[in-house]
Amino acid sequence: MNKKNILTVQNVVWAAILLAALLATPHFLKFYHQDLLIYLTINVLVVCSYRLVTLTGEWSLIHAVMMGVGAYTASLLFIHFGLDMWFTLPFAGGAAALIAALLCFPLLRMTQFYFLIGSFAAGEAIRLTWIEFVGVFGGTGGLRGVEAPILWGIDFIDPIPYYYLSLFIVSVCLFILYRIENSRVGLTLHAIHWKAPLAESVGVNAWRYRALAFIVGSFFVGLAGGLKVHYLGSVSPNQMGIGFMVFILIWVIVGGYNKFYGPIIGVIVLTVFDESIRTFEVLRPAIYGAVLILSVLFLPLGLESIPGRLRSWFGVGSTPHEPPLTDQ
Amino acid sequence: MGISRRDFVRNTAAGALIASTGLPSRVFAAGQKTVKIGMNIPMTGDYAPWGLPGLYGCQVVVDDINAAGGVNIGDQNYAIEIVSYDHGYDIEKAVQGYKQMVSESDVKMVMMLGGSTVGAVMPWADRKKILTTTLLASDITPDTEYLIATSESHPLYNVTGVEWLAQHHPEVKTAAIVTNNDAEYGLQSAATYQAAFEVAGIEVVDINLHGFDVTDFAPIVSSVLAKNPDVFCMATSFYCTPLMEQLYHQGYKGKIISCTLDYYDEIIAKTSKEFVNGTIFQFPDFDDPKLNEKGINFPNPGDFDAKFRKDHPNDWSAVAWEYPANLLNWIEGAKAAGSVEPTEVLKALRSNKNPEFVFGEGRWWGKEFWGRDSVVVGRWPVVVVQDGKARIQEYRSVSGWLDKHAAVLAKYMKSHGLRITG
Repeated sequence: MNKKNILTVQNVVWAAILLAALLATPHFLKFYHQDLLIYLTINVLVVCSYRLVTLTGEWSLIHAVMMGVGAYTASLLFIHFGLDMWFTLPFAGGAAALIAALLCFPLLRMTQFYFLIGSFAAGEAIRLTWIEFVGVFGGTGGLRGVEAPILWGIDFIDPIPYYYLSLFIVSVCLFILYRIENSRVGLTLHAIHWKAPLAESVGVNAWRYRALAFIVGSFFVGLAGGLKVHYLGSVSPNQMGIGFMVFILIWVIVGGYNKFYGPIIGVIVLTVFDESIRTFEVLRPAIYGAVLILSVLFLPLGLESIPGRLRSWFGVGSTPHEPPLTDQ
Repeated sequence: MGISRRDFVRNTAAGALIASTGLPSRVFAAGQKTVKIGMNIPMTGDYAPWGLPGLYGCQVVVDDINAAGGVNIGDQNYAIEIVSYDHGYDIEKAVQGYKQMVSESDVKMVMMLGGSTVGAVMPWADRKKILTTTLLASDITPDTEYLIATSESHPLYNVTGVEWLAQHHPEVKTAAIVTNNDAEYGLQSAATYQAAFEVAGIEVVDINLHGFDVTDFAPIVSSVLAKNPDVFCMATSFYCTPLMEQLYHQGYKGKIISCTLDYYDEIIAKTSKEFVNGTIFQFPDFDDPKLNEKGINFPNPGDFDAKFRKDHPNDWSAVAWEYPANLLNWIEGAKAAGSVEPTEVLKALRSNKNPEFVFGEGRWWGKEFWGRDSVVVGRWPVVVVQDGKARIQEYRSVSGWLDKHAAVLAKYMKSHGLRITG
């Protein structure tokens, strides 16, 4: 296998510029937009972890609920045991991974559309548990009073310190997710996506790799849930419902999911777009629907394909092709 | 002719757009200082009827105050400006809107509806010492130092309606409760009605807690009516109109009691005046003659009602006067403190052991339930529809009921898994 050397001078320079921009950005924003930047940073981890699940070709509708599992775990540990964020975050990811591991047995017996519906049903079952067991999970009102930590005199309830903390944690997670995708495991996941029977014929246990992607993806989105609840202060079942899941899907589809950075572009562009149409609150669902339809019609490979298209228009390189949807 | 909740949402979308810009409603006099008050409320979505009318009500009150030259606080004269933010009952947006109001608009108090949105903002609000009001008493926790409920004490006041019903209709022996199964509104209210019915000697024969996904209320009403209740109780239901329609179509002849009966003229239009007459609830129209009696701490309620309905003829709801009442309480607190700073105003408000509650003198309460005496309870009106119009029958003491029966209420709160921290 040819390994590309990513540590070129050009890449290092670009990475340094990007890092400087990320570090400087909050200082040019008002308080309100600093908050938005934190949620955006966390949502980057949400879409990238979702992409790991989709690498095997399976699209689930449980990812938002898994984020909720992480958020509820962190909240319960903080409220009942007084654990700080430093300790609740690993448990948040771990709880989501554990639930995912248990759900693998029924869910991964299904594929494609059936998996999609099955994952939605499982997610709703978890969400209804939060609503029905009022004494434990607070019902529809959820859990509240979760606080950001104070460390060495830095109060992480303020947006700039929390942004830097989120940026660091999310960057580490993205690095791990990137390494997974570009490892032998990642290549196997791709192989299962495009040619599952062929992969199985050479001894790849497709079920095990699908389970691995589902569990690891859930771990990272659970961690994102923990990260979010410690800043937001509370969690409720409505936050983590199908509404948020649809947003995740739109971010990934509009951004594109064939490249690692596709969903990141999607979440950034649509978050900025979303904020710009905030005044038209009642029209937002319609506007989002229109964006999704236009994107599927005219940019089926997502925003990530725009540079390739531009290059082909200018006669440099070929037009990006859409890979086949199934291996059949 | 009234409008439905959904029509309300649709019709007021334009209003929300204008309101969300937070434009001041008048040009202030030169040299006059301005104090900003925040309203972080739902102005769109399903909860809009419990947000936007409150903003309209506050604009009526603020316009009156500013037209009269503002308010004198300490040595300074202030005009009041309302800064609003539509969070659509989304906790993420509620937090963002709250922080924006405080950090960018320097608001001195933030008024909110309550529930999960208040729970989300309070850790930050308490650390930053920002005075916040809620309409849900159950939002109070031992940690929420800067959260107060000075106008509505949901759902405690519901006990007065049951007490009045039992006294005036002694033939009533059984009741059935129907409400949505959310912990913030439905369950709190169901527990309160259960306690009130027990105290009144009325047996609860059925409790139907349904989800928010119900679209057909016929089977719910049928199953409840099969128990033959003398009283049909809608405990803070989001679905009063369809429930009332079903009761009408299924020929229910018993008594009906509800926490709210928003847009009751629409219910009359869909059923009949005769059917709705006699329905007991808790929220008066402000053109009610009994609001002109001595002891009511709301200036010119009839005038307020007329101005509100002139500008927003179809938008009156239970909250139309509650946010303004909170604003008026804050003004009294600021005057007493001689300062607009949240810590000073809160101190002044708390130091008054018998604060002026909207329907008369009140007292601070809540420690034995939620860990802090941050709810003002006093007397509350019992309202009955008569000849198609809501009319106050009498005022009854919430405070007195709690003194005698708080343990019964606590029992039912716990039975629903609701938080009792005191």
